[in-house]
Amino acid sequence: MPTVVLMDASLSMTRPVSLEGSEEFQRKNLAVHGLTMLFEHMATNYRLEFTALVVFSSLWELMVPFTRDYNTLQVVLVTDGALGIGRGSLRHSLATMKQRGEDKKFPLPFPFPSKLYIMCISNAEELQATDAMDNLEQLLTLSGGEGHIFTMDGPLCLKSVQAMFGKLIDQAYTPFHAVLRCGNLASDVQVFPRPEPVLLDDEVDPVPKAVLTELEIVGFIEIGDIASPPVLSRHLVLPIAVNKEADEVGAGTTDDMEEDTSTNQMAGKSPNFCVLLHGSLKVEGMVALVQLGPDWYGMLYSQADSKKKSNLMMSLFEPGPEPLPWLGKISQLGPISDALENPYGEDDSKSPFPVQPKNKRSYAQNVTVWIKASGLQTDVQKILRNARKLPEKTQTFYKELNRLRKAALAFGFWELLKCVAELLERECTLLPDSAHPDAAFQLSHAAQQLKLASTGDSQYAAFEHNITPMLTDFSGGGGGADRM
Amino acid sequence: MKTFSVSHKTVIVVDHCPYMAESSRQQIECDMLTKSRAQGVIPLAPVSKSLWTCAVECSMEYLRILYDIYPARKLDMSAHRDILACTVLQVNYIVSDSEFHILNSWRQEDQSVQELMSALAAVGPPNPREDPECCSILHGLVAAVESLCKITEYQHESRTTLMDMAERVANRGRIICLTNAKSDTHVRMLEDCVLETIQEQNKLAAGSDRLMPIQQCELVLVHIYPQGDDTLVSDRPKKEISSVLNSEVHSVRAGRHLASKLNVLVQQHFDLASTTITNIPMKEEQHANTSANYDVELLHHRDAHIEFIKSGMHSIFVFDQCIPDCVCTGDLHMAGSTSRDSGLKETVTLKWCTPRTNSVELHYCTGAFRISPVDVNSRPSSCLTNFLLNGRSVLLEQPRKSGSKVISHMLSCHGGEIFLHTLNSTRSTLEDPPSISEGCGGRVTDYRITDFGEFMRENRLTPFPDMPVDAAGRAPFERAKAQLERHTRYWPMIISQTTIFNMQAVVPLANLIVKDSMTEDDLLTCQKTVYNLVDMERKNDPLPISTVGSRGKGPKRDEQYRIMWNELETLVKTHVGTSERHQQVLECISACRSKPPEEEERKKRGRKREDKEDKTEKNGKESEEKGWAPDSERLKGAIEREKEEQSESEVIKDSPDSPEPFNKKPRLATEELLSLEKSKGPVSLLSLWTSRITQANSRKHQEFAGRINSVNNKAELYQHLKDENGMDVHENGKATR
Repeated sequence: MPTVVLMDASLSMTRPVSLEGSEEFQRKNLAVHGLTMLFEHMATNYRLEFTALVVFSSLWELMVPFTRDYNTLQVVLVTDGALGIGRGSLRHSLATMKQRGEDKKFPLPFPFPSKLYIMCISNAEELQATDAMDNLEQLLTLSGGEGHIFTMDGPLCLKSVQAMFGKLIDQAYTPFHAVLRCGNLASDVQVFPRPEPVLLDDEVDPVPKAVLTELEIVGFIEIGDIASPPVLSRHLVLPIAVNKEADEVGAGTTDDMEEDTSTNQMAGKSPNFCVLLHGSLKVEGMVALVQLGPDWYGMLYSQADSKKKSNLMMSLFEPGPEPLPWLGKISQLGPISDALENPYGEDDSKSPFPVQPKNKRSYAQNVTVWIKASGLQTDVQKILRNARKLPEKTQTFYKELNRLRKAALAFGFWELLKCVAELLERECTLLPDSAHPDAAFQLSHAAQQLKLASTGDSQYAAFEHNITPMLTDFSGGGGGADRM
Repeated sequence: MKTFSVSHKTVIVVDHCPYMAESSRQQIECDMLTKSRAQGVIPLAPVSKSLWTCAVECSMEYLRILYDIYPARKLDMSAHRDILACTVLQVNYIVSDSEFHILNSWRQEDQSVQELMSALAAVGPPNPREDPECCSILHGLVAAVESLCKITEYQHESRTTLMDMAERVANRGRIICLTNAKSDTHVRMLEDCVLETIQEQNKLAAGSDRLMPIQQCELVLVHIYPQGDDTLVSDRPKKEISSVLNSEVHSVRAGRHLASKLNVLVQQHFDLASTTITNIPMKEEQHANTSANYDVELLHHRDAHIEFIKSGMHSIFVFDQCIPDCVCTGDLHMAGSTSRDSGLKETVTLKWCTPRTNSVELHYCTGAFRISPVDVNSRPSSCLTNFLLNGRSVLLEQPRKSGSKVISHMLSCHGGEIFLHTLNSTRSTLEDPPSISEGCGGRVTDYRITDFGEFMRENRLTPFPDMPVDAAGRAPFERAKAQLERHTRYWPMIISQTTIFNMQAVVPLANLIVKDSMTEDDLLTCQKTVYNLVDMERKNDPLPISTVGSRGKGPKRDEQYRIMWNELETLVKTHVGTSERHQQVLECISACRSKPPEEEERKKRGRKREDKEDKTEKNGKESEEKGWAPDSERLKGAIEREKEEQSESEVIKDSPDSPEPFNKKPRLATEELLSLEKSKGPVSLLSLWTSRITQANSRKHQEFAGRINSVNNKAELYQHLKDENGMDVHENGKATR
């Protein structure tokens, strides 16, 4: 989630902090110290986070802009909690919020999901002495409630500002480290952005699910078979050098950085499973199915940038035993070697996917719908068109006739059966002299059968019953070819 | 939609009383073609549907859409998550005349339009001559309430599976009643009757295992009257009759008005929304080389529009007047329920987009929703659905007057089901990430990419729906993981780390040894592979040993074979515990491979020791191995020493000049280690890998001659004196190849 840092640069931030026996600090210095620590942490452990810095007092100035637009945001507001007075102050703005016009709406809540972290360069007692805390809390509630207000414990000094920013880092910027495993092959990885726990909209069991730090590959599937599945989120999977010094908060001296670079160079030269996996996934056009937790899965694949760059990416599926209907239950996916014969064929010409559902959907099974008159008219015309091409079209004629008959019986539309029977009888009388003699027999037979069905007589109006072509001397002595 | 919302159970009650046989007075011309064909033929009178036919076909349409989007599915009741994770919607269909007829049950296999069509055919149209006094919709409504109290298979299993959370399994439901009411008072009477029945049934249900009291019931009364008549019943929005019962009344003319009403209701009841695909190019039947553009309306879960709703893009919603003769003012503000109630339907228009996408492209897709065409068998609809059913996908873009093209959706078919995919159209936070080549392992250039590709193909997955667990109680995906484990016990990642995997001659054995069980034929193939290697060695065939990093021409031929045999042994050893036959493969290798002379053995030992020293230095940096590698390294060293010692003692036991045997102490330790190793299972990949690297490193520098020949790191001086005496014993003792 991209971060915007809002830094209070108002005059009150230059208030000195009384400290015995050391050089004098302003609150601003403390804030800068805290932010330096945050940025250093990001530079070492959260490198890919996009960050912008805005400085404000009564006006504001964008110091470092984003290079892109995003649909989610993390806001870190650094202030001393001196909210000012009069027009434009937070106090005033909150109090007059309801009187604002449509064009000058209060900026919170943002029209996108966001988290607001407020870092107060003052301690709780100080804030509670005025109504500052209440106002800040109101601000947090307005923004949607996601986030936190941090205050400093004890005297205002470098140590306590470090402790406060340390808490922010723990809550919002701890990197997600995991081990990616494929059997005995493994690699330590950082997953970025870190996967947040997912709360299922579930009436019975509303417990948030978190991604395990042990990511285990289950097997592999072709990209065409997994077919652009819906995912909750996407994350880069970055191999990391192991046992790197546990990131000491704020301990980013130049020496360390240099050593860091050399370790990275070393790490670049020793083989890493992620790189192997990425290369093969890319070449083969496949994805690796990975287990993220109990009944929770995702996929690993090669994601190519527009340029020559590409990366190992992990997408998380919706938690559950069957996230993609076309794969079936994930727990029922097994190795192809267990199958009697290779489901992909010896030459990779077939695939066991997609899994076919038991029942076809309406659009795949030629259903009869007569809601619109045109639907009914089309069906009647189909029968008449085939009727005129008897005996060649005997099969299709009876197929269409039976389809209409079934629907008419189900809908209790007996009048239609009579009507079509009459139409067929008339067709019979209109047959040209050149017509095949079988045509007349079939037409009158079909008409008679429809009439019988329209009486509702159970012998003729059974739903499962089909009208079969009449056996005539012309229709090949009842040979199987023409029969339904 | 919550798991046990009112939508979980729907009862449709259709009035089958004599008055439903009345004509809807909506006439349909069936006799269309005669006019052009034969003059003088009197066209047949148009037909018209009865109120019953209208009610039945519209309710079937409601169910068609419902089952398309929420198909009935077989539940795996043994899986706890399954119960919680899926939306199960069930419908009970009841017909009411002088008594009630329940046409299906709550069971999953009864949830199909085909089954209901068959049952409806058996019921037939209402009999106009039946005594109207004994016929009433009330029979059906009472039956509907009773039915709602009946526990569904799903509720039952949820309760038993969840045990301690059983009370969270709720019982809510909806009754849709299609009838022809007499008046508003009549409607009131029906509502009261439903409420009374609920109260009675809830009392009964409290004391039963098979029944559940109804917590909430939604009654949707649809009054159907013929065209041209004035309605005797007035519309009424949803109103709370009591804490358990809500009721709403819709007064609709039979025919297309009823159809569009039920279309609106199905959308409301099951959280659906409408998308119209526009600009679909279709070939004209008459003129094959021209194409016209058509629109097709689809229904799907409304979450497919969530991005539009979130981002406040209300302008994308288009409001069509779906009832032509209903006067409405089009309020162009997005507000679902009000616009629906006013008879307007809203739909999002998305444009067919060319070029099409191919199936091997992996789109960033945030959702996939089943669709159902509104007009399922119209020509444009069936053209679109057939196109998709044939396996092609279509990207859809938002119509914009200007600016860039935004592709927000994709239509795609999976296994005979069409899904509307939502594609991410906002810019990603992951843009422009570092390339994988910039990170760990990124500089290594000789990864076994092709081999791992082959490995992935062998470890592809396939569904085993009929075999939930095998004899050992493992689910298929656990077997898949077990196979991955077996296949990776020894798997060097880069070409220069391996010899055997670069040799075509080893392939048959390498493929078979990883199998869970070997046949007698497999064993024979493995043995043949080994004999073949022996043959190669005899012929002195070159081996594909990597010379990367080594000075000069690399190791000598016999050294190459030693490395190859060692690696092969390492591979086979990791599988030796799998079965007797796996064991036999190892035995075959041990028996066939060339035994290096003692000198060689000593050299090796010397190197090993030195490498180990190297290792301890390196460990500071290569911390990966830090945790456990030294341990297993020691273990392995010990095993090898033990083995060497054994072979040595076998070979040289008679020699008076044989070196001092290892003292007892380390030997005991070795035995301990060995037994420890056995209980631990096969040697880990990492230790194997480390030993490989150690071996590779050992080739990179020339060893000090004294150390090469040293025993226990002590170089014997004046060796040549001994050699002169003892050499021939060795020569005789060993089979030289």
